[in-house]
Amino acid sequence: MSLGVARLTSVNVRKDLRLEWRSRDVFNSMLFFALLVVVVFSFAFDPSAEESRRMLGGLIWIAFLFSTTMALNQSWARELRNGVLDAYRVSPAPPEALFLGKCLGNFLFVLLLECLMAPLFIIFYNLRPLGPVWQLVVISLLGTWALVVNGTFFAVMSIRTRSRELMLPLLLLPVSIPAVLMMVTATTAVLTGESSPVPQLKFLAGYCVVFTTTCFLLFDTVLNAE
Amino acid sequence: MKSKLFTPALVVVACLLGYGTYLGLKVAPTEATMGDVQRIFYCHVPSASTGFTLFFLNFIASVVYLWKKSPKADAWAVTTAEVGVVFCSVVLVTGPIWARYAWGTWWVWDMRLTTTLILWLLYVSYLVLRRSSEAGSSSVLAAALAVFAFLDVPIVYMANRWFRTNHPQPMIGTPNLDPRMAHVLYVNMIAFLFFGLLIAWFRYDLERVSQKLAALHIRRAAGGGASLAVLPAMFLEAGHVNPNFYLYGAYFAAWGIYIGYLLFLMSKLRKLHQEEREMRVS
Repeated sequence: MSLGVARLTSVNVRKDLRLEWRSRDVFNSMLFFALLVVVVFSFAFDPSAEESRRMLGGLIWIAFLFSTTMALNQSWARELRNGVLDAYRVSPAPPEALFLGKCLGNFLFVLLLECLMAPLFIIFYNLRPLGPVWQLVVISLLGTWALVVNGTFFAVMSIRTRSRELMLPLLLLPVSIPAVLMMVTATTAVLTGESSPVPQLKFLAGYCVVFTTTCFLLFDTVLNAE
Repeated sequence: MKSKLFTPALVVVACLLGYGTYLGLKVAPTEATMGDVQRIFYCHVPSASTGFTLFFLNFIASVVYLWKKSPKADAWAVTTAEVGVVFCSVVLVTGPIWARYAWGTWWVWDMRLTTTLILWLLYVSYLVLRRSSEAGSSSVLAAALAVFAFLDVPIVYMANRWFRTNHPQPMIGTPNLDPRMAHVLYVNMIAFLFFGLLIAWFRYDLERVSQKLAALHIRRAAGGGASLAVLPAMFLEAGHVNPNFYLYGAYFAAWGIYIGYLLFLMSKLRKLHQEEREMRVS
């Protein structure tokens, strides 16, 4: 059975990646949106290198949070066409595999986005982190997972409502506030080199564990809500 | 059964609230540094404790709903969330009025303030979700969101440890609180809790009515409208304190919110009456 879940998950991930590779509509709009946020903020604040270290933690995660929201809406809207989601619901495949596949797919998209955006932040904001850079990698892995796992869950919830895309930020942002707070303070701690981000990282890891578990427990219920 | 109990409950709550406000505005000793403005405390803290209790009940009702799928649990869930949001709004309005006087600023991003604000946002999004989802799935989706909201609250609270806190430390059960003040606070906490549960009961009846639209239930719920009569009693008590803009501002704002919400419930009741009449005609 567990082998079945793993195989189904990988089938789902590969399907999502292939769809995205052929159309590239989600990823392009995500990338362009994040780029616009970076440019607009740079115009609006025109920060010096010292100031940008203080505010960039928040800015980076706002850009990623909003562009993730765009991607998440699309990832489920795609399944509504041709009744794919209904077909999945009547099939004997475990819903956890679908959820995990979607999460992993979105996780990969957002990570790729972060890798592409990182040089831009360095260029536009004269960024030179004062703390150890490898910690930023850990923060982005944990932070992205925290955003994506809740986001995928609330996206499937919001496509079941009347206002679809509009609902997702309303549901996702309040629940994600503690995670965003941790990502921002941890990133700022590394950029300014003033304190260690380890307590925030532990907290973020705890957040990921709690909400990943809850998402998996409730996904079946939400998918089949009638 | 319920309709028989409702009127006595109403009288008890009216007496308790009147007595509590009387104690808070007249009997409680004036605080040494803050003066009479501190009396906002007797409205602010009980509203907070009642609001949090209601949110906790919402979580329980949601879990019961996910488990048993009973429409009663669902009605309790929407009721407690909505009334909880009203009490939480009172906390968020009276708090800054007090803070403007005591701290010199309306708002700080402090642990408890942030937690309460996020709590409020979470349950507002819960109500929005209920409104905008399809009739069949709305209860299940909302119940799932309620589980998330409930889990999120302690996490938000801990996450805010990294900010310095300005909010007065909890004083209940510590020797720092003057026993006379403590007495007044406890009376008010009980009064507000019963007040909250009474409104929730009224709202619950309304919810059940809109679930079924049965004539009998409409008549029963109408009794709840009388709970409006509780409120004018509160304003009679406010006479003999040092007039203070902030104190009155907070009390009037709090009761404005409660009365506004009850008026909203009354208009809802009227609409249900009308629907029921139309159904009978056709």
